[in-house]
Amino acid sequence: MSAEAGDTGKAGVIVAQEDAPPMNKLSHAVLDDLLYNVVHDLLLKVHRDEKIARANTAAIKVEKLAKSTTDGTSTDPKPDVEIETDAAIYKDGKVMLKGNPLKSTKEILCPKCHLPRLLYPTDGKGAKKPDPGVIYCKKHPYIEKVGYDIYGQTWVAPGPGRGKKKKDQKLDPNDPSSPAQGEGSAKDRPSNVLSFPSATCPKCKRCILVTRLNNHMGGCIGNSGRNASRAAAQKISNGSNGGSQNNDNTPPGSQKGTPRPGSRGASPRKRDGDEFDEDAEDSDQPNPKKKKIKPNSLTKKVILKAKSSAAAANFKKDKAKASSMLNVEQTPDDDDAKDSTVQVMPKKPTPTLKGASPTKKIKLGAAKPRLPSPAGKKAKKDRDLESESSGTMSSPPPR
Amino acid sequence: MSARPATPASPKNYKVRATQPGQPMYGCEHLQRLFNQDQATTNTSIQHYRAILRSIFDTNPLVPQTSKAADGAVVTSLTPTYLCLQCPSTLTEDDRTKHGSKKSHRFYVDSRSGALYCQMCDDIVWDPTFEELRLKKIGTGTFSNRKRKHEELFETSDPVRNNPTYITSNTTIASCKSSGLRGIYNAGATCYQNVVLQSFLHNPILRNYYLSDGHSSSTCNVPYCLSCAMDDMFQDFYALETTNGYTAANILSGFWFSDRRAFDNLVATKEQDAHEFFQFLAEELHERNGDGKKPEIGSEHSCNCIIHQTFYGKLQSTTTCQNCSGVTHQVQSFLDLNLPLENLSHKKGKKTLSRGQLTLQECLEEEYVKSDKCEYRCHNCSSMQQARRQTTIKRLPNVLSIQLKRFEYKQGRNERAAKIDTPVQFPLELNMLPYTNRGRAISSNGHDGGKENYELARSCTYDLLSVVVHVGEIDTGHYVSYCRDGDQWFAFNDHRVELAQKSDVLNSKAYLLFYVVRSLS
Ligand SMILES: [Zn+2]
Ligand SMILES: [Zn+2]
Ligand SMILES: [Zn+2]
Ligand SMILES: [Zn+2]
Ligand SMILES: [Zn+2]
Ligand SMILES: [Zn+2]
Ligand SMILES: [Zn+2]
Repeated sequence: MSAEAGDTGKAGVIVAQEDAPPMNKLSHAVLDDLLYNVVHDLLLKVHRDEKIARANTAAIKVEKLAKSTTDGTSTDPKPDVEIETDAAIYKDGKVMLKGNPLKSTKEILCPKCHLPRLLYPTDGKGAKKPDPGVIYCKKHPYIEKVGYDIYGQTWVAPGPGRGKKKKDQKLDPNDPSSPAQGEGSAKDRPSNVLSFPSATCPKCKRCILVTRLNNHMGGCIGNSGRNASRAAAQKISNGSNGGSQNNDNTPPGSQKGTPRPGSRGASPRKRDGDEFDEDAEDSDQPNPKKKKIKPNSLTKKVILKAKSSAAAANFKKDKAKASSMLNVEQTPDDDDAKDSTVQVMPKKPTPTLKGASPTKKIKLGAAKPRLPSPAGKKAKKDRDLESESSGTMSSPPPR
Repeated sequence: MSARPATPASPKNYKVRATQPGQPMYGCEHLQRLFNQDQATTNTSIQHYRAILRSIFDTNPLVPQTSKAADGAVVTSLTPTYLCLQCPSTLTEDDRTKHGSKKSHRFYVDSRSGALYCQMCDDIVWDPTFEELRLKKIGTGTFSNRKRKHEELFETSDPVRNNPTYITSNTTIASCKSSGLRGIYNAGATCYQNVVLQSFLHNPILRNYYLSDGHSSSTCNVPYCLSCAMDDMFQDFYALETTNGYTAANILSGFWFSDRRAFDNLVATKEQDAHEFFQFLAEELHERNGDGKKPEIGSEHSCNCIIHQTFYGKLQSTTTCQNCSGVTHQVQSFLDLNLPLENLSHKKGKKTLSRGQLTLQECLEEEYVKSDKCEYRCHNCSSMQQARRQTTIKRLPNVLSIQLKRFEYKQGRNERAAKIDTPVQFPLELNMLPYTNRGRAISSNGHDGGKENYELARSCTYDLLSVVVHVGEIDTGHYVSYCRDGDQWFAFNDHRVELAQKSDVLNSKAYLLFYVVRSLS
């Protein structure tokens, strides 16, 4: 052991007292060595990321220079020139480093877009103001700030307050002519304050606020078999299901701020997502303004998917066209989701028609035994236990 | 230059890694000079580096940690030593300089990591050629692209491993801003779905499958297909610049339109269990992508669909009749390992003072190392007999999912469910070898620290990928999750995504754990 060298290990942080017995000194030394190793491993990791990023930056820069000397006319990826910068040499289509990139290269260029990386978050812990004259790579360091997410976003409080105001202006939440959710307030909010979006139910085509989508679909779609009666009840009360949801006819202003401990306590799943409930209007007609096909929905596949040929893209297009003739369909337009509250809907062709088709029922409906636990030997054990008094089950009922 | 004993006299000519755009060709000027001397120098350098990596990663750690000082004294150190690339010496940091000036040997390998130190740079250098070898050694245990060793522990004709597009993270031209990190809005008590969706979204195999058009929503005609909904979701997470939360409306409608069995459990009984949703989603996706057969867990069902390739493994239970010593083997597939906590935490509470503290390894040992008594109908004896039964893992999955059974209910008039809050410590890095057939065979043969076993243990090493946590009371609780992206952990709470520390993750009371086999990551 390196303890032989003295009273401590390599880090020299955990030191035994001078008159300590040998075993004591040894254990201090071992602990100190372990600490050294932990720091060593961490350091190596950071060193690797940083040094490779800087070395690649040096390479990207010299390659760019080499390309620019050919006036951009050459499409040759490896122009036959010799270029030298402070950090690297470009020769015979190869890049060789000069010196240590940790010393020679100060910034980091994104290997993908070749723009400089922002090295500090723009807000929260460790934030620094970015240079306004520089166009940075869009990948930013994540933000660490209480109340905000990694992108520095926050959400309109679901309770009383900002989110409320626009609601109070509305006379009748079920009136389709009332202003679309969020539109009014979106303008006087900072861009990093988001509100909850809405989505279109594929069956009834209504536009539903996301926080009540599940309840709505439960009532709208899940009305078969033994769910039927429950679903019917849901339809009447417009999506209330867990017993904790308010009737839509209640004036919105009165339901939001007040907690409903009574109904929640009794509910098998108290925190029914409607604590975010903003009482979206269940408008029969989706806002026509949002009835647009997502502009990049066709190209986005091409971007990611190597296999995606032009044929596939066309196929997709045809499908989209066909479906949009059949019904009012929307594709998610996430790019302006910040402003628009209406989002989403399936690209599936004519789902409503097919969904109800008996073929699907037959195919899926074949009775299948409930899957037993794979823990083979425990099956017996569990059975024994169950017969005694209790058994283990895998299922927590909470939301 | 004397050769390391382990180095085979190979006539093979080694090549420096071909130049890549945006990367320098060599780690530093000095390595450039080394590689440009002559083919023989390149050969011996690469051969030596491989031999050193083998001695670091495939032997008893005592070997690379033991150095010989200039005065001949042999010292074994806990802290890193340096293995000379140009001769067989192992040196301490202090002796490294002396050795360099005496022998003009300039390159040394750090014994903890296999990283290369250049004395002339006085810094660690990350050379593309050497680094490729090092990463391969750490990952698969071999230097070549040939199939992994110890195949019997994994699926032999495993397309995930054989199809490089599933593994290489399909470098896309998508924007630098699209990171796959987005929250998912709670659509009204759907946090139990969101946590499972997040864990799927950060599963590298599923991600690469969907991003390489494994199931294309543009060519699939199944109405309300959940696999199409997954495809669309992966696209929106990894191809768009959006940072706002995601509205999983397609998943939700697919869920509501499905009339599979799990649906009844989840909907009718209002049991909003993330584990059940995981099973539901896995079965549904198997059906959309697989052989069409129901994934019956009790059987040895093999299927090549993405879900089977990702999650399914095989268990073998061996039953030994206490009367005639006859042995029966039974093999069955599993989607996940379900570990009971209650009995174990009681048992342990009595024995030790650290009451209620369990480790994941203890739970695994209880299930897959220890044997239990049972009664069974023996064919030899033609009667019911006492038997010992032992279950071990015969085939490990690529992504191991583990459920800690925190929810139990007492049967009776009012089915009251109870939550077991026992903390279970789980590691970032999990070695599954002890719970496999092979591990069992090794431990019963006595200890044998051969090279084979180091490799075997490494091939059974898993890294934590995501954790699903249930917080609060059983009726009123909420689900959150943690997922790892590279080395960074993130906390997902519905639409909110925040940075998380490893300590946050490790101190959480996990309900579901997902581990990915290291050789894939
Ligand atoms: Zn970029
Ligand atoms: Zn509807
Ligand atoms: Zn040497
Ligand atoms: Zn150097
Ligand atoms: Zn599909
Ligand atoms: Zn399958
Ligand atoms: Zn027998």
